Amino acid sequence: MLGLCGRRLLAVAATRGLPAASVRWESSSSRAVIAPSTLAGKRPSEPTLRWQEDPEPEDENLYEKNPDSHGYDKDPAVDVWNMRVVFFFGFSIVLVLGSTFVAYLPDYRMQEWARREAERLVKYREAHGLPLMESNCFDPSKIQLPEDED
Amino acid sequence: MLKYIIPTMMLMPLTWLSKNSMIWINTTLHSLLISLTSLLLLNQFGDNSLNFSLTFFSDSLSTPLLILTMWLLPLMLMASQHHLSKESLARKKLFISMLILLQLFLIMTFTATELIFFYIMFEATLVPTLIIITRWGNQTERLNAGLYFLFYTLAGSLPLLVALIYIQNTMGSLNFLILQYWVQPMPNSWSNTFMWLACMMAFMVKMPLYGLHLWLPKAHVEAPIAGSMVLAAILLKLGGYGMMRITLLLNPITDFMAYPFIMLSLWGMIMTSSICLRQTDLKSLIAYSSVSHMALVIVAILIQTPWSYMGATALMIAHGLTSSMLFCLANSNYERVHSRTMILARGLQTLLPLMAAWWLLASLTNLALPPSINLIGELFVVMSTFSWSNITIILMGLNMVITALYSLYMLITTQRGKHTHHINNILPSFTRENALMSLHMLPLLLLSLNPKIILGPLY
Repeated sequence: MLGLCGRRLLAVAATRGLPAASVRWESSSSRAVIAPSTLAGKRPSEPTLRWQEDPEPEDENLYEKNPDSHGYDKDPAVDVWNMRVVFFFGFSIVLVLGSTFVAYLPDYRMQEWARREAERLVKYREAHGLPLMESNCFDPSKIQLPEDED
Repeated sequence: MLKYIIPTMMLMPLTWLSKNSMIWINTTLHSLLISLTSLLLLNQFGDNSLNFSLTFFSDSLSTPLLILTMWLLPLMLMASQHHLSKESLARKKLFISMLILLQLFLIMTFTATELIFFYIMFEATLVPTLIIITRWGNQTERLNAGLYFLFYTLAGSLPLLVALIYIQNTMGSLNFLILQYWVQPMPNSWSNTFMWLACMMAFMVKMPLYGLHLWLPKAHVEAPIAGSMVLAAILLKLGGYGMMRITLLLNPITDFMAYPFIMLSLWGMIMTSSICLRQTDLKSLIAYSSVSHMALVIVAILIQTPWSYMGATALMIAHGLTSSMLFCLANSNYERVHSRTMILARGLQTLLPLMAAWWLLASLTNLALPPSINLIGELFVVMSTFSWSNITIILMGLNMVITALYSLYMLITTQRGKHTHHINNILPSFTRENALMSLHMLPLLLLSLNPKIILGPLY
């Protein structure tokens, strides 16, 4: 238990950059030697193995300076505001209010009216014995044809 | 109509006068608000179109295309933010101005009453697109691509100008709303044959028809992401829209004049789908997939039945959203790996699982999975071509199979399998990218709940 806590403390100290040990001392109970790290205060060396085959030198990693980057801008404040604008206006206003508008469109292209009108006309014509539909679109007696030319 | 044109025009001073840190925020915000107002166009009547003035009108065909245009501008702005971050401020503002200008011309094209006005705006859309492709494209081939794009479309549309002026002289007016009622059947003669060809070739090149499609892979691949998005989603549909309008004047010779083009499209959709299976370049695959889908639209428009018109309109909107989303996904890959080769960035599902979910959805809608509107469009087209001629079902069925094949091929190559070691350190997906994908996908999915607004004037 104590060893685990000790190891955590050592790890914490190491990541924080503090030297895990400030003087060199040898343990009396074991053959362990605790010494200050020779790498303390030094920057980590460049990796010798490149991950990318063809690295672009001007590739900017937006996460480096700003780990919470949303991908819009380098400046964290502008980045966050851009994200908020996109989400609020894009989703909350346009998609939500827009879909509500579309869902409640009154009788788009008068389809429902057309059905009601058709049912009403059928009911009327059946009640009065009229044919349901005439094959003539217009009344033939009202069409005036030009004189036949011989 | 001014309620769309003036805010879009005012986006220009907004870009140029905004503070440096606020250009993207301001333009995205205001273009989203303009897209909200575009929904007002959905107040369509059953027996007439919305006639705003003598110059502008909007019916059930142009309304969904207009809404798509106005929805796409904020998406293009979001997609371009990253690759323009290194440019100088003036260049960024110039790019945004080109996008806004393009949006303006597109709005005016889709709502034009007068066909010469339509033609002028149709040609005017070429200029900002050419500037976007040739100035902000990434490879040296962009110059060749711009040339192909410009001259193919210009060569196709010059006869259209002549034909339109001829119609103005003979019919007396080119106002589309009047022409609908004045149109006389066109008798069969050689000059009318050429008249038919003159009217249609501009739109055939734009769609593109299979034999005239060479500009499309070049332009789509070399354009920056915003250019690819607007090309695939809207500019191709200009061709379909124009064809649906102009065929009103060209009956009844369309019955036999359309045969060569129907044959070319039927064969072309299989050919281009098959080419997709052989592509190594991701953007090129998506570009050829666009040709294949548009070939379906061409067939639908040329056979001129009510169901085929409904299918064509639905397919145009569905393909606009899907294709634009696929280009955004390809661009998210490109920004990380700086290469469009598919196998170079493979096995992404383990590294970027949320982006893999978007890839899956985009691929599924691309292969017309039910109940998406892609399926509704394709199904209507397949049904109407079957009733036009039974044999086409074989070609249509084959096309749907090959479409499924290459969509899944693209999905599996980029997402599944073991990822390569050299992409171990690619950056996680940005909120911007996920928001972009969901802004493409959500309208697509919502439309499958209420497709009547995209089924066009014959619904």
